Amino acid sequence: MDVSEDLLSRARALVGSQGQPLVARHAVGTAAIADWCDAMGDDNPCYTDPEYAAKSVHGGIVAPAATLDIWVRPGLPAQSPSGRRGDDPQSKVIALLEAEGFVGVVAVNSELEIERYLRPGEVLQGVQVLEDVSEEKQTGLGTGHFLTTRTRYSTTDGEHVGDLLFRILKFKPGTGSAPKGEDSDTPKPPPSDPSMRPRPAINRDNQALWDGYRRHELRVPQCRSCKRVFFPSSPRCAECGSFDMGYLVASGKGALYSHVVVNYPQVPGFAYPIPVGLIELEEGPRMVADLVGVTREQLAIGMPLEVEWLDSHPALEPGATDSQGPITLPRFRPATPQRRPETRRAAEVSEGEQLPIWVLPVTPTRITAGALSTRDFQDVHHDRDLAHKKGSADIFFNINTSIGLMERYVTDWLGPEVLVRALRVKLGAPAYPYNPLTFTGSVTSIDTGSGRAVVEVTAKNKLGSHINGTVEVELPR
Amino acid sequence: MTKHTYAGKAAIVGIGATEFSKSSGRSELQLALEACVAACEDAGIEPSQVNGLSTFTMETNPESEILRGLGIPELTHFSRIHFGGGAPCATVQYAAMAVASGVADYVLCYRAFNERSGRRFGAGVQGRPAGVTAEEAQFSWTSSYGLLTPASWVAMFATRMMYEYGVTSEDFGRVAVADRRHAANNPAAHFYEQPITLEDHQKSRWIVEPLHLLDCCQETDGGQAMLVTTVERARDLKQPAAIVEAAAQGMADDQHMMRSFNRDSIVGLPEMGTCARQIWETSGLAPNDIKTAVLYDHFTPFVLAQLEEFGFCKPGEAKDFIADGAIEMGGRLPVNTHGGQLGEAYLHGMNGVAEGVRQVRGTSVNQVDGAEHVLVTGGTGVPTSALMLGVAR
Repeated sequence: MDVSEDLLSRARALVGSQGQPLVARHAVGTAAIADWCDAMGDDNPCYTDPEYAAKSVHGGIVAPAATLDIWVRPGLPAQSPSGRRGDDPQSKVIALLEAEGFVGVVAVNSELEIERYLRPGEVLQGVQVLEDVSEEKQTGLGTGHFLTTRTRYSTTDGEHVGDLLFRILKFKPGTGSAPKGEDSDTPKPPPSDPSMRPRPAINRDNQALWDGYRRHELRVPQCRSCKRVFFPSSPRCAECGSFDMGYLVASGKGALYSHVVVNYPQVPGFAYPIPVGLIELEEGPRMVADLVGVTREQLAIGMPLEVEWLDSHPALEPGATDSQGPITLPRFRPATPQRRPETRRAAEVSEGEQLPIWVLPVTPTRITAGALSTRDFQDVHHDRDLAHKKGSADIFFNINTSIGLMERYVTDWLGPEVLVRALRVKLGAPAYPYNPLTFTGSVTSIDTGSGRAVVEVTAKNKLGSHINGTVEVELPR
Repeated sequence: MTKHTYAGKAAIVGIGATEFSKSSGRSELQLALEACVAACEDAGIEPSQVNGLSTFTMETNPESEILRGLGIPELTHFSRIHFGGGAPCATVQYAAMAVASGVADYVLCYRAFNERSGRRFGAGVQGRPAGVTAEEAQFSWTSSYGLLTPASWVAMFATRMMYEYGVTSEDFGRVAVADRRHAANNPAAHFYEQPITLEDHQKSRWIVEPLHLLDCCQETDGGQAMLVTTVERARDLKQPAAIVEAAAQGMADDQHMMRSFNRDSIVGLPEMGTCARQIWETSGLAPNDIKTAVLYDHFTPFVLAQLEEFGFCKPGEAKDFIADGAIEMGGRLPVNTHGGQLGEAYLHGMNGVAEGVRQVRGTSVNQVDGAEHVLVTGGTGVPTSALMLGVAR
């Protein structure tokens, strides 16, 4: 019997074994729910508004479905080496595998099945069962074993509330597909640091606009006499002849009027190919700017857009307000889909229906708030220094944040009283700061009889597919 | 109806060019002087007889150096036209106005550059330090967002044209196919004997979507000159005169160089419409009188728009007009019979003016029967110019 077979048989001996019940240290609470909602940007009043929730299908405040597995988490103290528990079956298999060099770990699947929504005051417990240890597999990351666990959640009274199937890959670092060799025929792209973009020429005629950008105000020229709004700036109003020129602070909302994708030439300051839009602002004027979070296939004339800001260039001279000063550029992403205030009925939803595209800016704050509000204190989700030390490019979303955002995306679209029955994701590329995540989705099945529907969701960033998931819901009939 | 009073009083009597290459191996000034000398020789005058010059503001060779190099004793007229490729027909217009009004006798129009081996326009405007002029401020409304080249600006119009008129990339490709078919027959063309198919066009790489590589003109080293004088003097010269029947410049409402994105509609070329109105009014001609045209083709989409602005078809119908080979030899209106700037060379449209002269003389490699009046246009998307050249009577 060789080492790998021996290892597998020892690991598989633990399949079916069950850990000690992990009991939540604190009850499900309204403050924690509210923090989760803030972190996810989820304004569903069923989670935070007692009056609304009382009249809803829930009859009172409930915790979002995606929070099922956060309540029994051991919290910050468990992160210290002495605080680690090792008596669950997964930890035991991990110890066996790590002894044989399978020290790398990556989460692969997370599948939450929701029996019922949780209410404030309930105390949960979880019992983990080791469901499977795979044979040795060759993966892109390296040779490894997939470990699958199922955790059954119940109230301390013993009422079953849901399950989590979780799969990780333990792999030997360095045994994956060899990193792609540099193709000597392919020229290296230029550095994409935006500070290398051409600086705008700031003069007396356009100063007020660029000053506004620095304050993240989307200013457009406006004649103070006749109030005409136009673009770009001019010292004289062609309509009424006035030289009294001011500006209007635009709402930042607009629609795509035309677009290009620049492939060549490639110059420093841009990550090619770059989609660039001609945006018609709701105040009327059109302006050119970067388009964020959309692929060329998603570009569509007329799509609603909203402004965001890129602080592109630091000052070359302290205190300068001309082109040598700090530069901020407006750029546009698809307008954030609005939360639907009324819940859709099953009959109103059709198979194949597309969800509106949602581009989410990813910031260190969002990553950290997401991790802490899901009670995940692993350092790689909040501490950049330690994330670097562990070989990660930066801090990144924990799984619960990604799933929470997926739940928000689907429930915002279907309405506040849709019941989430399952949240299943396959994990891919990490979500690092400053890489916007683009969510797309479609209805893959709808049963008008039961009201059950399945919505497929993908969230991508420039590194690839971050999550591929499905949300199973129950709609009012 | 307003007719320009100098119309019909001046003619192009000499054309001269260097070879068109990707690396000339000599200075831009030498290219300019060689082209100017060739134009004088073609006409049969001595360079020292020239007393007027007209060129582009983008030209790097100052009139004083042309004067020195040609041995010109004095110049009584020297003029420059702004906005890059919009200028070629306007250099002839200024020359025609100068000779018709008695300001000068012989005016050379010239343009020369090492645009491929030297500063390439297609490389964009990066690296320019930010200044404070109105023109630099204008650039800034697109450059910081990555629209740095003419291709990137034209592509923005092209996307909208596709959306509003249902034009396809294949429709743009038909312009490239026509140009390359004509160039294949022109020994002076870079793409001599190298025609392309629509499939080649579709397979060529993206430059700025929706523009493929084969939607874009070449980059060229070379020089081109034309000699202009009065119709009376022309009668004593070597070559049949190409009469300047009409010439026009045009700039239109809310023009922002090649980035007029704030007009009510951005699918037309109103500045070319301004030229078209003057050309038809002054020449007294109509689209049906025209058997061939040289339409500025830095990028294919605007060739379609020009057909519409000059009334060869209705707005939005150029794609149908060209569908059956109308702009190729044998078609209703063969366009760019020298191969255009996609096929022959990119000389800022000046080589197109020379082709207009050859069609009038009857000496084009792709001669169109009955080409008594030839329309030539300048750059598109920018403030521009146009010419109607005709056979002397």
